[in-house]
Parts: sequence; C-alpha cells; structure tokens
Amino acid sequence: MAVKTFRGGAHPPERKERSNEISVERLLDVKQVVVPVNQHFGAPLQALVKVGDVVKRGQKIADAEGRMTVPVHASIAGTVKKIEPRTQSNNTDGPCIVIEALPPPAEGQEPAGSPEDLVEFLPPLDAFSCTKEEALARVRAAGIVGMGGAGFPTHIKLAPSKPISMVIANGAECEPYLTIDERTMIERPEDVVEGVAITMKIVNAPEGVIAVEENKAHAVPLLEKAIQSSPRTRAGMKIRVQLLKTKYPQGGEKMLITAITGKEVPSGGLPMDVGCVVQNIGTLCAMVDAFREGKPLIERGLTISGGACMKPVNVIAPIGALVADILAAGLSQVDEGALRRIIYGGPMMGVAVPSYQIPVQKNTSGVLLMNEEEAKHYDEETCIRCGRCMRACSCRLSPALLAVALETDDYKEAEKIGLLDCIECGTCSFVCPAHRQLVQRFRVGKQILRTMKQKEAQNAR
Amino acid sequence: MPAKGMLLSSSPHSFTPISTSKMMLSVVIALIPAAGYGVYLYGFSALALILVSVASAVISEFVFRKLIKATTTVGDFSAIVTGLLLALILPPATPLWMVALGSMFAIVVAKEFFGGLGANPFNPALIGRAFLLMSFPAAITTWSMPNGLSLADAVSTATPLALVRQGASIGDVATYFGASGTGDLLRQLFMGYRSGSVGESSILLIAAGGLFLILIGVVQWIVPASVILATFLFSWVLGMNPLFSILSGGLVFGAFFMATDYSTRPLTPLGQAIFGAGIGLITVIIRKFGGFPEGVTYSILIMNIATPFLNKMRVKKYGFVPPVKPAKPTKEAGR
Repeated sequence: MAVKTFRGGAHPPERKERSNEISVERLLDVKQVVVPVNQHFGAPLQALVKVGDVVKRGQKIADAEGRMTVPVHASIAGTVKKIEPRTQSNNTDGPCIVIEALPPPAEGQEPAGSPEDLVEFLPPLDAFSCTKEEALARVRAAGIVGMGGAGFPTHIKLAPSKPISMVIANGAECEPYLTIDERTMIERPEDVVEGVAITMKIVNAPEGVIAVEENKAHAVPLLEKAIQSSPRTRAGMKIRVQLLKTKYPQGGEKMLITAITGKEVPSGGLPMDVGCVVQNIGTLCAMVDAFREGKPLIERGLTISGGACMKPVNVIAPIGALVADILAAGLSQVDEGALRRIIYGGPMMGVAVPSYQIPVQKNTSGVLLMNEEEAKHYDEETCIRCGRCMRACSCRLSPALLAVALETDDYKEAEKIGLLDCIECGTCSFVCPAHRQLVQRFRVGKQILRTMKQKEAQNAR
Repeated sequence: MPAKGMLLSSSPHSFTPISTSKMMLSVVIALIPAAGYGVYLYGFSALALILVSVASAVISEFVFRKLIKATTTVGDFSAIVTGLLLALILPPATPLWMVALGSMFAIVVAKEFFGGLGANPFNPALIGRAFLLMSFPAAITTWSMPNGLSLADAVSTATPLALVRQGASIGDVATYFGASGTGDLLRQLFMGYRSGSVGESSILLIAAGGLFLILIGVVQWIVPASVILATFLFSWVLGMNPLFSILSGGLVFGAFFMATDYSTRPLTPLGQAIFGAGIGLITVIIRKFGGFPEGVTYSILIMNIATPFLNKMRVKKYGFVPPVKPAKPTKEAGR
C-alpha cells in the first residue's frame, strides 16, 4: 500500500507507547457527573430539567430549537442537584447540570426501580432501511457531535448540499500521547467499518476510506479483516484502508483529504466542496451505538497520559465525569508532586486547565498530566527569520510574514496572506527555534479580523 | 487538589528541541573546516585575525546592549557567527586593529542599530567588509602568499580574479599559480591552493560545510543553488569561463554562508530563487565591467535591498481560490 501524506508538517515526539497497548477500561459506579449544557459548535442550549428532578440514563436534559444545535443527555441515572456555571474543558465557565447518582439500595431493600426504569434509550433503528431524514434525525437526537475536538454537529455534516464521493474515517490520531482512536480501531474494528458504512449510506457516497497513520499500522489487518467480513461490503459497499505517513497535523480534516485525494479544500470552503465527509473514529462508533442500541452519546473513550501520569490508561467515561473521579477510582494515577500542567486534549491543540476537577466532554479525546520537563516554558526570543515555520505550515501561510503583518496591525495584508485559512494546528509555534507564539497571535488575529469584517458588513448595509 | 502551580498557556504545549543558539552553533561548526584551512595556509596571523574578529563582535554586542539597557543576547552565538564570517572574508594580512574595527562596525552599525538579531536589512559581516574596503582600500586588497605556494615574488601576491582584472587570461593565471593548464588550475582552485581571503580558498571545504548545513536543515538549498547556477549561466553568456567564475573569489563562500543569512535573504522559495539569481548576475557584471576584481560582497548587499519586496512572492496558500472579480489581474495576484 502506498503511504500517502501532505506537504509540510512536523514530528512532535509521539509518546504513544505509554498507552497504546493498554486495553480500554470502563469507569463504573460514578457518584456524580457534571454535564456541560453546551458541548457542540453552534447555538446555545436550554436545560430541560430543574434542580430536584430525577433523570434516567440517556434522558435528554438540554436542547434548543435551531439547526446548529445538538441535545445533551444524562449520562447516569440520578437526581439533578445543581445547575450552575462550572469550569469546562475549554477553560471557561459555562452552565453545567450536576447529577448525583441514585444512592444504592439499603441493605435488604429492593432497588428503587428495575434497570429499565433507570435507562431511557431511543428505539433501535436500522440505518440501511430507514430514510435519510430519519437517519439524520436519529443522529441529532442521539446528541452526536464530532468527537475529535471541534464538536461540530454531525447531523449537519451528514447533510451536505453537494454530492459526496468519499467518506473518510479519521484514524490518523496525529496528536501525540493520544491512543484512544488506535485502541478503538483495534478493539472495535467491526464498528468502525459499520460506522463508515452508515455514513456512506446517509450521504450516498460510493467509497469509504479508513485513514490510519503508519505508527498504527498494526491496526490495518484487523480493519481489513473487519471490512472483508462486513455484511455491508458483501452487499457491495466499497471500503478500504489507507496508510498515511506519521506526521502532524495529518489528522487535520484538510490535510487528510489532500493526502488521500490530492485535492485541496478551497479557501473558505468545506470538505463537501471536494466531495468528502470526514468522520472521527469515536464519532463513527457513537453512531453505530445510536442506531443499533438507540444509545445517545453519553459516554466516550479518552486517553489519560503524560509524564506525571503514573498509570496511563484508555478509559470509557460517562460524559460529565470528572477526571478527578477517574483517578480516584484507581483507573489511573497521578504523581501530584511532579504534576505541572494539565491539558484537556492533545499537546498540540489541547487546552491547559487549572485542575482536573473538570468534566469529560463529548470532544475530550484525552487528558494529559504533564511533568516539569514536558511543561517546560520557553521565553519568546526575536524572530531570526529562519523560515522553519514557512516550510512546516500545512496551509502554506508564511507564518513569519503573517506574524509581522499582525504585529504591525496590517490586517489587510494578514487577510491576503491567509489568516482566516489558518487551522490553528500550532505546527509553526512547535517548530520555532525562538519559541515565537505564532499560532497564538493568529488565533487572536482571526478573532479581531472577523470582528472587523462583521462591522464592515454592518456599515455597508 | 493541585489547583496551585499549574502552568496555563495557549497551545501548543510541545516544543522543538532546536533553538536559535543551536542553529547558530551549527553554522560555526560548518565554518570550522574552511577556517582551519585558512589557518593552515596563513599560519598564526590568520588565527589571530579570526580570534580578534570574533572577540570584537561579541564584546561590541555585549557592551552596546548594556549601554542601551537591552537584554544580553551574546548567548545566541549570532555575534560569534558574524565575527567568524567577517574574519574569513578578509585578507590574511589585515591589521588586527582594522579587523576589530570592522567587526565592531558590523555588529553595532549593521546589526544593533536596526534592532539586533533578525531585524538587520543588510548582512552585517559584508557591511563590515565593505566598510573596511572603503576606508582602507590598500590594506583590504593586499594578499598574502599561502604557505608552501612558491611564486616568483616574495610576500604579497595577487588573487586569480585580480590577475584577470589586470587583463591576464586563464592560462596566464594557471602559469602564475604553477598549474600545468586550465584544468589543473580549476582543480587547484577547487582544492584551495591559491591566495585570497582567509576562508574563501578551499571550495571543497566550504561546500562541505554548506552541504552539512543543508543536510541538517539549517540552510535551504535554493539560495546557494541559484547563486551558483546563475553565476555559471551569466558568465557563460558573457564569454567568461563559467567554472573559473564559480571557483575563484568568494562566490561559493558567499553562496553558502553569506547569501543564506536568515535576516537578509527572502523567506519565500520563489523570492529566494530570484534573490540568488540576482546575486549571480550582479557578481558577474561587477567582475566583467566593474572597477573591482571581485563582486560578491556588493552583489549580496544589493540584493539584500530587494528582500522585503521578494518576500511578497509567496507560494499560493492551501486551497487558494483565484479572486472572481472581473478586474484585470494584477502582477501580485495569487502570490
């Protein structure tokens, strides 16, 4: 198999060997979850429950009208204790629904209700016999969003306005440390294939590709076996595995599409403009669960790792579970003395947070507990114009020149260079020998430029 | 609860082990063979010249930044690189006080006046040399005899390019340096057995250092390749011996170590190609028609001026969509 890739990129230390051979475990007996009301990219939701309500596992607890909304469900059966702002994984405060698990039945007493009374899933649905509308309604009702990081509503992604020729399963997992997608491909290859098939059915795509980076090549035989034995491929669906070079940001949607198809997503456009739909591995499995079991997205797998993590682990936790509780349950272990930085997400794009008393969200792919050495902070030096960022930028944006444009407040030039095309992967900041905060400037610059453009548009009206 | 003492910062949280000082140090390492050969050819005086130049550069930077109350940047090794580069492009017999003065001028006027590392528009070492050449033209055009090269007259000698400037043919130059013919002369120039600046003689060792930098990714191939290629082409067009043009003077040294200077060369690939081609062209024109036998210093300095403009020749960004406006396309569109 020819190994494909994109132009540019970098090779941050992978450090996946810490957790990539550890089977996924499940966090059980959670006493309390803190479920953020807003976990998707789009309009805010309203809580549908109030303090004191008893909720079932899988019951919808927040929703809103509007296209860009995805409901949120209770991940455990219990009592709503509080609805209040809490710190979320993006390090900002947002409304969260705190659910306390029902107390276990006292000695000698019957449980408060049968297990069926504690769980409220949707009825199973066959994705291959239902209509497209029914399928999309199910994807939304199950609360499914892109689980790779952005949290984009999946039912929007699966309703493109252009014909789709290829569905890509994103098994690149290019962020260092993270191994949950790798483990999922190894432990649930049939479901990954089934998820690709369901996606292909919904968007009516003739081809499905499971993209895997070379450092996970050992998952390829398992996936190929699953493809061969899948009833979908026997029925004629075309699904294959594609190996990609291990390189950051290979898992970026645009880089993935370019590596596989050779096409570039047009500036300001979407993957559908080149006939592609890209789905995260976790999202695919969540979709399979949503159809087969009617199970909403109430739990997800994540990797807990890092130099201050003495017991790296891949774990399935209910949405809203605090990482502190995963540690308390003994599934993982932290060296408090060595802990210097906590990151929700990967080291390249994740968010540093002040504590691990923060809930796992639909898009939390990992939590990194980093030690002094990993968390080393570098002072910014002057740009020596070496051009390493220029060659590493996967979007070919000339970061060094973009930074100069932003430092001189020349937003016109910045836009021309392509500020709004920046995918904020952080490769430029990673490769900079002077430790310039390039992507950090671009993030702020993008916000300012967008605001300026909005104001211009308003004034023009 | 570890709420206290957690480091918060915007991603990425992973950094390359490569640093400015390591990159500068690798340039110093790449220059050691050429410098060592210079010491071999010209003896202790060349070593003294190198040490004085480096020391003057480092001390000038340290003192100047102390005076303007800026942070000390001696630790990034860039002053050492500048001092070393200047030493290697000066005649071996340059009086040491001139060397110290030139090195100070390079650091203070050409680099620190513009804001220090990364902000200087002109190559500091070349400015240092140009300054000395204008101030002390006699000293900077007096060439010593390399050890072991036995020519007719005693101490001072002429460079191959100076001989050509005086009207000598390549054959005459070969005879002058004791070579049996043009081919032998070119071989001798490649190995570095001729008079010239301290570090510019051995093309072999200079290219080895340059290729080392390209191999470890500190320098990119576009600028050196386009300088050498353009020199070859334009010399050939103007009826000069293209190989002699490349192997004589400081062309290869300039191509690998001067034209590739980070702050003064363009950042974009197309800009770099044009930059290099311009250096080759101007060098050939100066050598052919100008008043100096050698033109590499001025050709690089002249092309340094074009760098900000050449930086506008950007590669098309990912997913570039040509503007749909029916307006007639401008030269800059898409670049």
